[in-house]
Amino acid sequence: MDRRKMLALLGVSPAVIAGTPSFAGTAPAPLSAAAGCESESMVSVLNPGIETKLANRVPLAPRLSTLHGKTIYLVDFDWGGMQENGGVLKAMQAWFAQNMPSVKTIYKIKGGNFVTDDPGLWKEIADDHGDGVIIGVAG
Amino acid sequence: MSREAGEIEQKYQIPTVALAGDNVVSFGLGAYFKDDSGMPLRFVGVPFPFAGQPQSVAVKYVAGKDMVSGKPFMQAVVDALTTPLTPEEKLSGPAPGSAAPERRMLAPDTPDHLQSLFMARDWTDYNPVTLPTEEKVAAMLKGTSHRPDEVIKSNSGTFGSHRPFTVEKVATVAVMAGAKPEYLPIILALASRVPYLDSTTSIAQMIVVNGPIRQKIGMNSGLGALGPDNEANSVIGRSMTLIHKVIQGYKEGVTGFSSLSNPLRYDNLCFAENEESLPDGWEPLHVQMGHKRTDSVVTIFNGWNFINSTGWAAQHYAPQLLMRDYMSSLSGMGATIIMDPSVAELLQSVQGFKNKEALGEWLSQNVEKTAESYWGNSIVASMLAPLARQGLKPYADWLNVPGKTAIKPFTNPRQIHSVVAGGKTASVWFATDFGPSGGGISIDEWS
Repeated sequence: MDRRKMLALLGVSPAVIAGTPSFAGTAPAPLSAAAGCESESMVSVLNPGIETKLANRVPLAPRLSTLHGKTIYLVDFDWGGMQENGGVLKAMQAWFAQNMPSVKTIYKIKGGNFVTDDPGLWKEIADDHGDGVIIGVAG
Repeated sequence: MSREAGEIEQKYQIPTVALAGDNVVSFGLGAYFKDDSGMPLRFVGVPFPFAGQPQSVAVKYVAGKDMVSGKPFMQAVVDALTTPLTPEEKLSGPAPGSAAPERRMLAPDTPDHLQSLFMARDWTDYNPVTLPTEEKVAAMLKGTSHRPDEVIKSNSGTFGSHRPFTVEKVATVAVMAGAKPEYLPIILALASRVPYLDSTTSIAQMIVVNGPIRQKIGMNSGLGALGPDNEANSVIGRSMTLIHKVIQGYKEGVTGFSSLSNPLRYDNLCFAENEESLPDGWEPLHVQMGHKRTDSVVTIFNGWNFINSTGWAAQHYAPQLLMRDYMSSLSGMGATIIMDPSVAELLQSVQGFKNKEALGEWLSQNVEKTAESYWGNSIVASMLAPLARQGLKPYADWLNVPGKTAIKPFTNPRQIHSVVAGGKTASVWFATDFGPSGGGISIDEWS
């Protein structure tokens, strides 16, 4: 079908598709002219900037002297929801079993979903004398 | 996840390693640490993407290099748990090296240099801004009764970092966007809701204005309502973009990581509802949300998709049927239909939808998609699959059905909204997955 006829049937003017001459023929105005400014004059303006106050520093927990004989929790925080990112944590668990067999690893999936907290699990890990936590995977 | 790792470290004093894809790890080590948590968490990183990969790839990642330190991955994990803390990691209290407070005025300079400075500081959408001279800002402030030094909000940065801002700061941004003083109450109302929702996905915002202010300031709710054809719609929409960047401090690669972002963010789909053309029984959006018809209200929506009806309503296939069909591609977590008044009239008078709620109810009952497609959406999967595994109905049932089983994803008809706008030159509509972020915001309170 003729393109012009087809466009007419669709209720679209061929002129609309063809565009306007200004697209091809007009160069954009210089920035200063577009902003209505004269470059030689000095002006004072308010500062839009806002300083972000740095957060108060919070120290990390003391580290372990060794992992030998320790219990490490691997926590899947369930980003993605279908347990797809648990693969990395399970590969880590397998690595510990093969390379550091004295390390006891426990795999847990966080309750709720990835935007909710699970304070019950953190308490459970503490009550169970978990020595360290690996949590992920964020993406 | 950084939040949870910090809680385990701080509250229970258990050494923790945060594991992230290299797409977001720099955010955890950068802006999130400096501006939000103050805790220098120890991260290890895997290549992105990791989800959706076979287990063999996960094994390869673990056998490979840590994307943060460059060490063998598991060596980095062991080191993160056992290497003694550095002096930097033991710091508590006020952070060293805080920047000097921003001065109220910038040093005098030429307009060209100031335009360049605004671009260098990312105080722009890369269209020229109107320079906020004292005279222009003072004139803008006449658009509100609020004092210039009134602090609107303090925790305005992404994830709530401390970035206090005043009415004068918003007026400054409004001047930059090209606003008139009479637009300022809407812009202040929009600013009161920062931080806006951001994501590595292509999330965007939509602004809908209701009430008498629409006509008072000349907003367009009719012909061309969604196009670049009206000063108030255009400039108020742009103001939100500049608020996001200037006041919230959003910067790609620093405080945000939207992979593709979204062109809707240039103007945030700013328009007014055509309340005068609503069919009988169809209430304006703000009235549905509990405001009086005489209130002026702005509502911010969040969403991703904006599906065009393409053609007009056909006689042989009622509008709600095509809406149903198109909405099957949406996630089911919410929707807003934006429709021309002529579509609303057809739906009300011919199809029998006595009000907007009836249309939402019908769509909730009739939109279908397969269970596998439903769970194939990673936002749905992230938000709802964990809850489904924990027994939440009906999602728990949908996890266990064959993939091709048809389900009705819009479980809550109240999350299907309708907004009427347009000029009655075509019976067109958009099906979107935009949903209101909180309730409507009173504009009158900012007058």
